[in-house]
Amino acid sequence: MASTADTAPLLAALPAPPRARVSPVAWLVGPALLLFVVFFVLPFGAMALLSFLSGNPASNPNVYFTTRHYERLVGDSLYVEALVATLRIGFVTTIVSLLVGYPLAHWMARMHSRLGHAALLMAVIAPMLTGIVVRTFAWMTLLQDRGVINTTLMAWGWTDQPVKLMYNEFGTIVALVHIYVPFMVLTLTGVIGRIDERLEQAARSLGAGRLRAFYEVTLPLSLPGIMAGSLLVFALSISAYVTPFLMGGTDVLTLPMLIYQQVSSSFNLGFAGALGVVLLAVSLIVVIAYNHVLGRFAGAEKMA
Amino acid sequence: MTKRTISRRTVMQVGAAAAATFAAPAILHAQTATLKITTWGGKWGEIMKGSVLPAFEKEHKCSVSADQAFPFVPKLQASPKKDPIYDVLHTNSNEQWKCLVEGLVEPKLDTKKVPNLADVYPYAISESIVGVSIFTSAIGLGYRTDKGLAKPTSWKDLADPKLAGMRGGYLIPVNSLGQAHLMMLGKIYGKGFQDLDAAYKALEQLKPIKLFDFTGQMEKAFLSAEVSMGVIHDSGIYRYDGQNQPIDFAIPKEGVPALEQVLSVTPGSKVKELAYAYINYMLRPDVQKQLAEGVWYSPSNKKVNLDAKYDARLFNTPEKVAQLIQMPWKWYNERKDDIDTRVARILKS
Repeated sequence: MASTADTAPLLAALPAPPRARVSPVAWLVGPALLLFVVFFVLPFGAMALLSFLSGNPASNPNVYFTTRHYERLVGDSLYVEALVATLRIGFVTTIVSLLVGYPLAHWMARMHSRLGHAALLMAVIAPMLTGIVVRTFAWMTLLQDRGVINTTLMAWGWTDQPVKLMYNEFGTIVALVHIYVPFMVLTLTGVIGRIDERLEQAARSLGAGRLRAFYEVTLPLSLPGIMAGSLLVFALSISAYVTPFLMGGTDVLTLPMLIYQQVSSSFNLGFAGALGVVLLAVSLIVVIAYNHVLGRFAGAEKMA
Repeated sequence: MTKRTISRRTVMQVGAAAAATFAAPAILHAQTATLKITTWGGKWGEIMKGSVLPAFEKEHKCSVSADQAFPFVPKLQASPKKDPIYDVLHTNSNEQWKCLVEGLVEPKLDTKKVPNLADVYPYAISESIVGVSIFTSAIGLGYRTDKGLAKPTSWKDLADPKLAGMRGGYLIPVNSLGQAHLMMLGKIYGKGFQDLDAAYKALEQLKPIKLFDFTGQMEKAFLSAEVSMGVIHDSGIYRYDGQNQPIDFAIPKEGVPALEQVLSVTPGSKVKELAYAYINYMLRPDVQKQLAEGVWYSPSNKKVNLDAKYDARLFNTPEKVAQLIQMPWKWYNERKDDIDTRVARILKS
């Protein structure tokens, strides 16, 4: 207490230290950053650390560093095949979602009727109000061997044997596209809606056909939307677990399925961690490459 | 001023009353011990939460916190051994063995602490069991009775070519019925449960086969006729008793692997006496009867008197119990990674 009293006048005599200026934006970003650190960076760090340990330090004091989980992953073609299948499903889902979503988004963005726009928006959002499991089960009732489609085909005599619509990649991709297409549409609608319609009109008045005006004006200007939507759908579909699991049967083996297996029934957190790290690393590389390529296209357009 | 004082006092009084009301359960909670257990959901969970657990809480003046969110073992693995997330672990036998190897559960129970152990069938505390098996169901063949199929008598009947695409099995890496079936294939087509080469060959012969992760999905596939014959436990078929479904269960002559419901205590539990009391309670004839008849599980306690329709089908006599086969789970777990990779390759077309 005494020392505080002694130093107090001294401190008062000193010029006040300059207060660190914290930008108000930083305060607004703070909660998001905290959320990101607590729920992504820390868990991911723990997972990455576990993937290099021989066991779980919580229950085993004698753990040591090892690369054996990664060696196992690289050493067995099953895991490499699973990685390739995961990326393939991600790519195809993204492309099909883009092909299905773009015309719809374009239509929505250019619609002048407010009611029509609202109705379309509701139609796009409505499926998102039901859970992924429910939507996947809905696809199962349609596509399975005794499902609505096969029963109808067989009743009409078009086929004797049920057509294999699910328990394969086809069924998985159909369900994934249905589940993730709203993300594509909503992202694209925002971007296309902001493109000045008069630019297209100008192109047409200068002699470009409808198609050429679209390819040379609207499409390049909507590239940021295509990029954001594709990345969103790609990221969601390579990390999907429920849909490939229910729709894919044994024909489809993706990394998220393997990760779940390792955690829930093999109880090998280290190997699950290694699979997770590899999935993230490979997706990051793909995303950066995609960004780069699309950025080049967009850049070329700007230059032109 | 006067007004304000009164209002402040009122506010404080109300606040104190509210705090007391909200804190009451916590204070009460602090005085009673809490037993942390795992348990299944579905019908089993309804009976447990509806009457079995409240009765136990009342008898032992404690509270039970029951985790129904599968998977349990990774959560136990992640919690410190000295302060485990569970006091009593309820899983199937294969997972118990995994936990035992990692030192997460106690190997055996003591009759002095769990007196009802004296009344269980030998299989329930055999060398194949960690802790005690409180119930078992039998893994056999389920089949649809409206597809012109003869009632299967052997595990080999599942390989009948006319069942191509209509037979059902499990994703072996994640399902213990699938794992037990694989070992059974080794026994039937080869030299024994541990003859994996014979088992893989036999599994290859079962293609095309529809595979499921949980028995609930297999049940659904039976009901919708997606599957005409498949591997399932008796409980998964019998629970539709009285609903007029064209499905039945067959006990193959080679025997039925037991799907044990096993309870064990964690070494670091702070309420061990309560944990043993809970296991003893779960083995009590009245509790066993209630759950056995609720979900069609065969009770381990020999003294349980089941109603006629359950008595006729469940494994509750020494003769019937002799048909149950207990699998070498410790051996299986040691090879699980290799088996998983091999099986994934076989079943991927």
